[in-house]
Amino acid sequence: MAATIDIIVPDLGDFDEVEVIELLVSVGDSVAREDGLITVETDKAAMDIPSPENGVVESLSVAIGDMVSSGAVIGKLKVEVSDTVVIAPALHYEPTGDTTVLAVPARPEGQAQRSGGVQTLVVPDLGDFSEVEVIEVLISNGDRIKTEDPLVTIETDKAAMDVPAIVGGRIESVLVKVGDKVSEGSSLAIIEADAPAAPVEEVTVDDAARAETVQQAPAPAKQPAPAAANELPTINEAGFSSAHASPSVRKLARELGVDLVQVKGSGAKNRILHDDVKAFVKAILTGQASAPGGGLPKTPSVDFSKFGEIDVQPLTRIQKISGPRLQASWINLPHVTQHDLADITDMETKRQELKGAAKERGISLTPLAFVIKAVVSALQEYPKVNSSLSDDGKNLVFKKYIHIGFAADTEQGLMVPVIRDADQKDVYELAAELGELSALARDGKLKSDQLQGATFTVSSLGGIGGTAFTPIVNAPEVAILGVSRSSMQPVWNGSEFDPRLMLPLSLSYDHRVVDGAAAVRFTTFLGKALADVDTLVQATP
Amino acid sequence: MADHSAQLVVIGAGPGGYTAAFRAADLGLDVLLVERWDTLGGVCLNVGCIPSKALLHAAKVIDDAEAMAEHGVEFGKPKIDALKLRDWKNKVVGTLTGGLKQLAKQRKVRVVHGSARFASENTLQLDNGETIAFEKCIIAVGSEPLMLPGLPDDPRIVDSSGALELHPLPKRLLVVGGGIIGLEMACVYSALGVDVSVVELTDTLMPGTDADLLRPFLKIVKPRYAAIMTSTKVTGMRATVPGIEVSFEGKDAPSIGVYDRVLVAVGRRPNGDQLDVENAGVNVSDRGVIEVDNQMRTNVSHIFAIGDVVPGPMLAHKATHEAKVAAEVAAGEKSYFDARTIPSVAYTDPEIAWVGLTETEAKAQGIDYDKSKIPWAASGRALAIGRSEGFTKLLWDKETSRVLGGAIVGPNAGDLIAEIGLAIEMGADAADIGLTVHPHPTLSETVAFAAEAYEGTLTDLYMPKKR
Repeated sequence: MAATIDIIVPDLGDFDEVEVIELLVSVGDSVAREDGLITVETDKAAMDIPSPENGVVESLSVAIGDMVSSGAVIGKLKVEVSDTVVIAPALHYEPTGDTTVLAVPARPEGQAQRSGGVQTLVVPDLGDFSEVEVIEVLISNGDRIKTEDPLVTIETDKAAMDVPAIVGGRIESVLVKVGDKVSEGSSLAIIEADAPAAPVEEVTVDDAARAETVQQAPAPAKQPAPAAANELPTINEAGFSSAHASPSVRKLARELGVDLVQVKGSGAKNRILHDDVKAFVKAILTGQASAPGGGLPKTPSVDFSKFGEIDVQPLTRIQKISGPRLQASWINLPHVTQHDLADITDMETKRQELKGAAKERGISLTPLAFVIKAVVSALQEYPKVNSSLSDDGKNLVFKKYIHIGFAADTEQGLMVPVIRDADQKDVYELAAELGELSALARDGKLKSDQLQGATFTVSSLGGIGGTAFTPIVNAPEVAILGVSRSSMQPVWNGSEFDPRLMLPLSLSYDHRVVDGAAAVRFTTFLGKALADVDTLVQATP
Repeated sequence: MADHSAQLVVIGAGPGGYTAAFRAADLGLDVLLVERWDTLGGVCLNVGCIPSKALLHAAKVIDDAEAMAEHGVEFGKPKIDALKLRDWKNKVVGTLTGGLKQLAKQRKVRVVHGSARFASENTLQLDNGETIAFEKCIIAVGSEPLMLPGLPDDPRIVDSSGALELHPLPKRLLVVGGGIIGLEMACVYSALGVDVSVVELTDTLMPGTDADLLRPFLKIVKPRYAAIMTSTKVTGMRATVPGIEVSFEGKDAPSIGVYDRVLVAVGRRPNGDQLDVENAGVNVSDRGVIEVDNQMRTNVSHIFAIGDVVPGPMLAHKATHEAKVAAEVAAGEKSYFDARTIPSVAYTDPEIAWVGLTETEAKAQGIDYDKSKIPWAASGRALAIGRSEGFTKLLWDKETSRVLGGAIVGPNAGDLIAEIGLAIEMGADAADIGLTVHPHPTLSETVAFAAEAYEGTLTDLYMPKKR
């Protein structure tokens, strides 16, 4: 609902009759609550009269030079009242031990009586993210849009995603611009909505889910207090007072209790920067003596243009994100890779048999679906491979769920979508989900929760080629399975060489958690599971 | 039941006190501000920094007008209405103190007028008998001018507050104490046509200041003042009808002088021992000083002290900075007083300002340093305003080339010194300052020149090669 309210000069303290010296807005402008509308000047100072609400300026009844007093009406503002709607209230999974909690964002007042008229389109639940950057605005004032049309593209540190419209209509005004940071509930645009859209089903789902939340939600486990060894050292005041750090960095250090004497500055002339202080705290809390990579020798820097023509292109956004993570894993985890061959002759025969029927159901029954199915039973047999090391490195966290990440090669770079609860899915369901997630990954449309929570990752390069490789573990997972291209090979069956289709497997693992014998038992089990076709194609109970 | 109660009580509404009260209110605390005077603002606004600067401005206008006579712009002899001048000064003060009242109201900081004393570690008693209960307290009671013992009780003998009441203007003024406060008032009275004499016990004016800073100042004031007597002791004063008869003991001093007004500006004493802090368990020295840690806490952790009652220079800008730390800590924030330097300024004409390490300190502490000094005669702007007597001096760390301290003498030195303060806080080195483009033609260029002189890149002066 839209309403028009008066814009009134607030209490000016001891002043009455102040002069209007500037008009900051014009009729038709969209303003946010607290935005300055006009500037008035007392004999002490100039001050802005703020907008009382978010809205559109309908009229202004003052001009520069006018005198105004407290309580005077200086214009009218068209505001949107209590008609905020949440767009696409995405369910947000939070794995907490053995219970999966469905958290549903609270529905603001007024959603139930959703109707046509002026509404504010807001950002839905973003999962764990807030203050997400708007990287593209896809609508402009006056655009006609349909339900589900993308409004803006936002970028978390995991992925970029479009925020779709929950209602169609005409965009009255766009409230964000590229570079703005938005969180759940931030207003994106004001829309003059078309016909009422009453998503009855959705409401029911919401309510059911909320009810479930109430019943199932256990109190979130408290983070264990950091061990004494991980506490920050006390501040050496004498050293602190001569550290090469600006006043604001010193303030941050005080707030975090950081002794600047111990922080290595990464700025010009070893100046200690905000990021150095934060990295120091992070390193201490994660039990590392110094910041990752801090003491590493640098690779030589070369001026390539000296040797011929060059073209400099920035890394893609995904490469910028995945690069440091891969490096952190490579540096922090003692990696070992176990290679093996699995006989998939029977599996491939079976797959060819079933492929056609699956195709009719719209499912592309790929070898990877079978591999994942086999990996799930191997993980059930060897739960340590499905575990993680606790932050302090003193405990193993066993996960009673199996979420399989799979590496997807996209134009923007490497992405790892996650198949949740893979242990509860049969090979057809796995294949279907592989197909859907791969398509979303290619289109850059994965949601953040589709990229989180994996307990084990599979990287299959078999479609391209190769005989073996050493994948990097996707920490804090403890192992990753690399799959190369299968080939017909002569296998001695006791009396003669038998042509068998052999699939190369490369299991990289974190040697702190998995030892060599366990790893080879895992790959051996995996090979047997891949050969046991009947079990692979069994329906999951 | 106490008559008043608050989460935070701030005692004293000077620059430290009102800043602490306002900051704490902004952080959500319920604040009560206790002030013994009728207006807020303390010494600084009422009888210190602000009124003295209004008068110094008047003095400068008079001097500047006179100086232009030599260069072809002549005014008549100024007619000085001391009463009107005083009223203008009072109006400036009134505007600021009124503004403070408004700021307190906007923040819902309650103000109670009266002198407070501690009754216990959580209660105060006002001189009207009312009691105030508090959870936390910030002591910001400031300091008072010291008077010499055994002086006759005579209205012609005044302290710095009294000296601001110009009317009636004396013919002959003696300033006892050659510190910053005394010399600023000497400056005002001299411009208003008063015969000024200055007497100082030690061998130099502004004791502790690098000697070279005083030279341009002395060059200007020596011919104007009747006498500047250093290493001279005032041995007695006698009130007589023609004037105050002052006896001296010193090699360049007459044994007796007669003055219409005597300003005693021999220092200030912290007021820490005037509010029974011991009832709250707070330690105070017999000189009125209350010790604090780097979060401005006294030995009693919920009671803070800031400004002139704590050790350090008695300066408003130190008090306001400490005030914010105390208010933030009282509100539960992890704030510390981490400022590396506090600038000092004498608003005399020429102004003298310094920040960070001085040469005197460096020598006393055995700190090895490099120095670069730019005479203002090399500054086009200084010449254009007819003031080439000053200079800009920077001290450098020999190893890192970082700026350790700086001093400036000349008009607006107090404004110019801020850049050097920032440079010290930021850990800037000579190249950082020299490579920052300074606007031409300004006095601020002299700071960049000094950095370039150290770097060896200065072209505005010929410096013989050192290295």
